[in-house]
Amino acid sequence: MMRDARPLVDALREPASVEALSGSQWTDLISIARAESLIGSLAHRLERVTMPGRVRAVLQDAIGAHDLARQQALWEADCAQRALADYPGKIVLMKGTAYVAANMSAGVGRSIGDLDIMVAREDLTVVETALLDAGWEWVKPDPYDDQYYRDHMHELPPLIHRERDRMIDVHHTILPLTAGPTPNAGAILNSAVRLDNGLYVMAPADMVLHSIAHLFADGDLAGGLRNLWDINHLLRDFAAADEEFWAQLDSRAKVHGLVDELARALRLAAAVYDTPVDASLAGRSALTDSLYVRRLLARDGYGRETRKFTRFAFYVRSHWLRMPPLMLARHLWTKWRKGGKP
Amino acid sequence: MTQKYRAAPKDDLIWHDLDSMMLLYHRPSGITHMLADPVPAIIEVMANAPLTAAEIAARLTALFDVETGVDAEDIVIARLDELRTLGLVSRVSG
Amino acid sequence: MGGMHQILLKIGPAAFRIASAWRQPLEQLEALYQDYPQPTGEHVDFTVRLEPEKPWRRHIRPSVHIGGDFWLPDAAPLPLTQGLLAAEMGMNLQMALGWRRHLLLHASSVEKEGKALIMTGLSGSGKSTLSGMLAERGWRFMGDEFALLSLDSGEITPFPRLISLKNKAVEAMQQLAPADRFGPEMKATPKGDIRHLVPPKEAIARMDETARPTLLLFPRFGHAPELRDMGQAEIFVRLTQASTNYVALGEAGFHALTRFVDQVPTRAMDYQSVEQAEELIDSLWSQLP
Repeated sequence: MMRDARPLVDALREPASVEALSGSQWTDLISIARAESLIGSLAHRLERVTMPGRVRAVLQDAIGAHDLARQQALWEADCAQRALADYPGKIVLMKGTAYVAANMSAGVGRSIGDLDIMVAREDLTVVETALLDAGWEWVKPDPYDDQYYRDHMHELPPLIHRERDRMIDVHHTILPLTAGPTPNAGAILNSAVRLDNGLYVMAPADMVLHSIAHLFADGDLAGGLRNLWDINHLLRDFAAADEEFWAQLDSRAKVHGLVDELARALRLAAAVYDTPVDASLAGRSALTDSLYVRRLLARDGYGRETRKFTRFAFYVRSHWLRMPPLMLARHLWTKWRKGGKP
Repeated sequence: MTQKYRAAPKDDLIWHDLDSMMLLYHRPSGITHMLADPVPAIIEVMANAPLTAAEIAARLTALFDVETGVDAEDIVIARLDELRTLGLVSRVSG
Repeated sequence: MGGMHQILLKIGPAAFRIASAWRQPLEQLEALYQDYPQPTGEHVDFTVRLEPEKPWRRHIRPSVHIGGDFWLPDAAPLPLTQGLLAAEMGMNLQMALGWRRHLLLHASSVEKEGKALIMTGLSGSGKSTLSGMLAERGWRFMGDEFALLSLDSGEITPFPRLISLKNKAVEAMQQLAPADRFGPEMKATPKGDIRHLVPPKEAIARMDETARPTLLLFPRFGHAPELRDMGQAEIFVRLTQASTNYVALGEAGFHALTRFVDQVPTRAMDYQSVEQAEELIDSLWSQLP
């Protein structure tokens, strides 16, 4: 019984290593990969490896499912673009949809959920109105959550399309307004790169920093292995394409106030996925690096999250990051009163 | 009105005839649409070139019996608006 | 983290690992599935997990949360006495959310002479009971929850899990099948009073034999016996509603389902007893190609 997610990480780094797995080890690996939303990526990495027939069928199914997710994600982006045809500002795709729209290696086998887009903060009302006109509706009707979202979060309250039943998240920056680092949203929009279809994606350094912000600030490192796998791909591809990339990454991290997060992410990517990283940007190992790695690997062969105390510590800490203490207390109190989990 | 409309490329569409309705599988979206007359015909007459609503209406009345007093062009415009929401038809600019 | 027990099951083309914090549901599953083959090489398609809803509900008023490789948020837990039902629901969930090798229809199916009869409808239509009854009267049981439609050949593949009998159907089947084929009584589950029935040995032995779909019925229990034609558009829409993976299969799903609607004769069937249903079915069956 696999005790942590190390075999998944090993399989992603060294595809040939899976040829030694027994039947029950394959079952464990599949459960871990599904739990970490990495089975599509794993299936693509293992395409040329010999494996038992049923395992091949399972991985083929994962590829098929992720192909569909990709198709639906691109269509959703297309629908949003048409709904915003009269909006003159940039519509910047984010996360998985950006990777597949820009044909990046990080998009291969990627599981994609909602459509995430970023627009200028002053245009939120205009964008909101256009989406509502085109058939999207609010998901959360509660006025407290609604107010919280608008005042403090980096996105509009969630919208869902009434017929297609797909969600769109409209962001105006990459981290909540109440969190520590305050990224420069204007700079991200200015540097955004235009795709052939007229939608935008972030410039390379911003794209990496967004993924890093997401890794540490959104939740208790939940989905961290997948997030770090994205970062691994982005770093490899951008570094290979442009020798100025590391310098750009350095300067953008300073613009957005994410220098420490960048350093830690580089060290973690190197430790977990062997990503080649710039040594001076990565800095020296911190004692907490190994705690982060333990947290990232905390998944057993049944797909269960393990190491509960580490997880709890991360959860409280991540909520702390997002909201100042007084606000945190009020937010948790209201949520608790209404029966939601904190 | 001189606004022209263009239908989705033929290769994006798979049709299937059921007794009272037409099914349309739209490949880019993966969505299956169920369409009643005259919508399949509208898409079909647009297959080769962008057309105005009036041109589409003219072709439809040539193919079908249309009741007198019915403004075919109005009906076509209404259907085209629905098809635009679904992403099956787009307006041609210029 | 508590320890977990596990068993492996193979049913038709699908193989499962059922992991459970408690031994009891697994012992029940093992007993009922004892004639089924083991997955070769211990390879499975899905893992189902039965875990305590909260850590302190492992021993005190034990409460089972249904999870696994594929899961739904806000799944309602079941008491441990219904652990067998939880395991079956967990397997349904994996298939519904994760199976891509066939088009899945919420339907029961039975076979005679290489031809498959498929019955689909909402809960209470009687599709499970009918399939169980017909299986004791000369038909081969292929499944009561999902009919698996092959994407290339258009044939139906068996997926013969335990037959799920509800309320009055339990007594009725007890007249026909021996006691040792029944699972434990489970009262007041979310789906009513339930008892599981092991399919006949022949159904298990022949679980790899496909059949050509020859008749599709929409049964409706509790109305005067009648057969009615249905329009293709209505059939198609109702089948997409009855399929958990039509959308997920994209173009292949579209081709498989349109071919099915084109080729398989379909009727709505109202009935008030199994005998009436059998008569109506026999009257159609003899006329089919």
